Amino acid sequence: MKPSLKYTLIALALALAIALPFGLEPRGYATRILCLVLLFAAMAQAWNIVGGLANQMSLGHAAFFGIGAYGSTILLVKYGISPWLGLLPGMAAGGVAAWLISLPTMRLRGHYFALATLAFGEVMRLVANTWGGLTGGPSGISVPFSKPGLAVFQFKEMRPYYFLMLAALLMVTAIFAGIRHSKLGYRLRAIRENPAAAEAIGVDTTRTKIIAAVISGALMAGLGTFYAQFQFFFDPDTVFSIPAISVRVAMIAIVGGVGTTIGPIVGALFLIPIEELANQTFSDQAAGLSQLVFGLLLIVVILAEPRGLLEIGRRLWRWRGRT
Amino acid sequence: MIGGVYAVISIGLTLVFGVMGIVNFAQAEFLMLGMFVAYYAWAWLGLDPLITAPLAFAVVFVFGMAVHHLMIRRVLKAPEVAQVFLTVGLLIVLENAALLMFGSGFKSVATSYQTSALHLGPLFISVPYLAAFLMSVACGAVLWLFLERSWFGRAMRATAQNPMAAKLMGIDSDRMHRIAFALGVGLTAFGGAVILPYLTVSPTVGDQFVVLMFTVVVLGGLGSVAGAVVGGLAVGIIQSISGLLFPIQMQNLVLFVVFIGVLAIRPEGLLGRAR
Repeated sequence: MKPSLKYTLIALALALAIALPFGLEPRGYATRILCLVLLFAAMAQAWNIVGGLANQMSLGHAAFFGIGAYGSTILLVKYGISPWLGLLPGMAAGGVAAWLISLPTMRLRGHYFALATLAFGEVMRLVANTWGGLTGGPSGISVPFSKPGLAVFQFKEMRPYYFLMLAALLMVTAIFAGIRHSKLGYRLRAIRENPAAAEAIGVDTTRTKIIAAVISGALMAGLGTFYAQFQFFFDPDTVFSIPAISVRVAMIAIVGGVGTTIGPIVGALFLIPIEELANQTFSDQAAGLSQLVFGLLLIVVILAEPRGLLEIGRRLWRWRGRT
Repeated sequence: MIGGVYAVISIGLTLVFGVMGIVNFAQAEFLMLGMFVAYYAWAWLGLDPLITAPLAFAVVFVFGMAVHHLMIRRVLKAPEVAQVFLTVGLLIVLENAALLMFGSGFKSVATSYQTSALHLGPLFISVPYLAAFLMSVACGAVLWLFLERSWFGRAMRATAQNPMAAKLMGIDSDRMHRIAFALGVGLTAFGGAVILPYLTVSPTVGDQFVVLMFTVVVLGGLGSVAGAVVGGLAVGIIQSISGLLFPIQMQNLVLFVVFIGVLAIRPEGLLGRAR
């Protein structure tokens, strides 16, 4: 694709994204779904830094997400600190957690890394459930209502959330793209292709991977705060959930196109609405059907093309060009 | 004693990894399937789960062959990301299909020996635990004989060691993989059936066992059958001790910490050699 065409497309997509909510009911369900699409796209993008660029398949990103959600909300509930300020310690905590878990796991690769991070996410879930004095335990924690406004990160309508989520997505995407084209990005990809060779030409592989993990963890924690302010209520089993957070964000990135800049966005646009639709259509018939559809979809996409929808699209494009 | 059962349900996982190099995240769902087979055999035919354990094995074995043929076979050479997420997808599908078919309720069987215990001097040994342990030992012994003594077992180990060389010797590696996968999930289902007398079964029962199974195989070294036995016993002991020292919800936490610790310090496991 020519660069000029690329920028035109990006500009068009952005214009559409900004115009879209004005065509929808501001409190409506559709806007709410779009908010979730943007949030999950941003989360998948944060995952993509570790999972895509370094090919370290984390299945524990819910840990950082939950830390961020709890961090800002606890500060708000106990000390009345605005979530905008709580965002920062939350992100710092997420980064520190990522650093801590990186120390023992960074030497691990592939399946082993996936397993270790999975276990870490579960540890955090158990801790949050057990440490009731701080987190409210299994019964969850609520964001106290106050007069809506930008300063307190609470709104009556969906539309402001939409724009905040969009801003978050753009920010995370910009960071991802920045990393991708920076020295760090090239180092990460060198590690992905061949760790021994990367080491031999002087890349400090451990340090590089830890930096990527910390950035990814901190961003994920920041998005946790967004989620908390959007949902108003959550419990340990939701924010530290393996299927609903850890697996889902990785899945979005993979279904879209792992390691690419627009992959997570494509993946979220594809998966989240389908999931919501399936939830809506099947929820009164039987529990589990929508999840079943979701799982089948994942299997089908992976069997068809492990590199994701983008690659399928690219193939279709070429196939069209030939005939 | 509980460790013996852990060993059997985890051997399946380690076997699949050892032969095929795939970590099956959906393994615990096959445990759930085995439990359901045994449960329905009890509910409809009145058969004791200990007797129907081989049936659970057989049913899930056939099912495993189909799963391998339809899905797993196709990602053997794909990147690890695809392998991991295929089995994660399988996990989601199996769990929710079970939810649709069997309902979300908890089901359990009633047997005559359920609440009885043997007195051995100062020790009380619960009969269902003992039965499950003995069945597991028997199953492990049969598996060991199969792997060590039969032509099939040798061919399978050859495929695990060097697929290329095995192929050159005229071993159909695709068939070996299919049987290894089916055997792996079948064994786990067998384990599921023998623990049914003292547990309840529900579609989400697998969740309780995922981490446990992974801890067992990682402790013993992924891919090592002997390691899984040692790992199973070790996890059983760790659980009993942590059960004495900590409140019940901390038990899993201890397990997780052990798990991450082992991964960090000795990813090849206690018995394993570096791969």
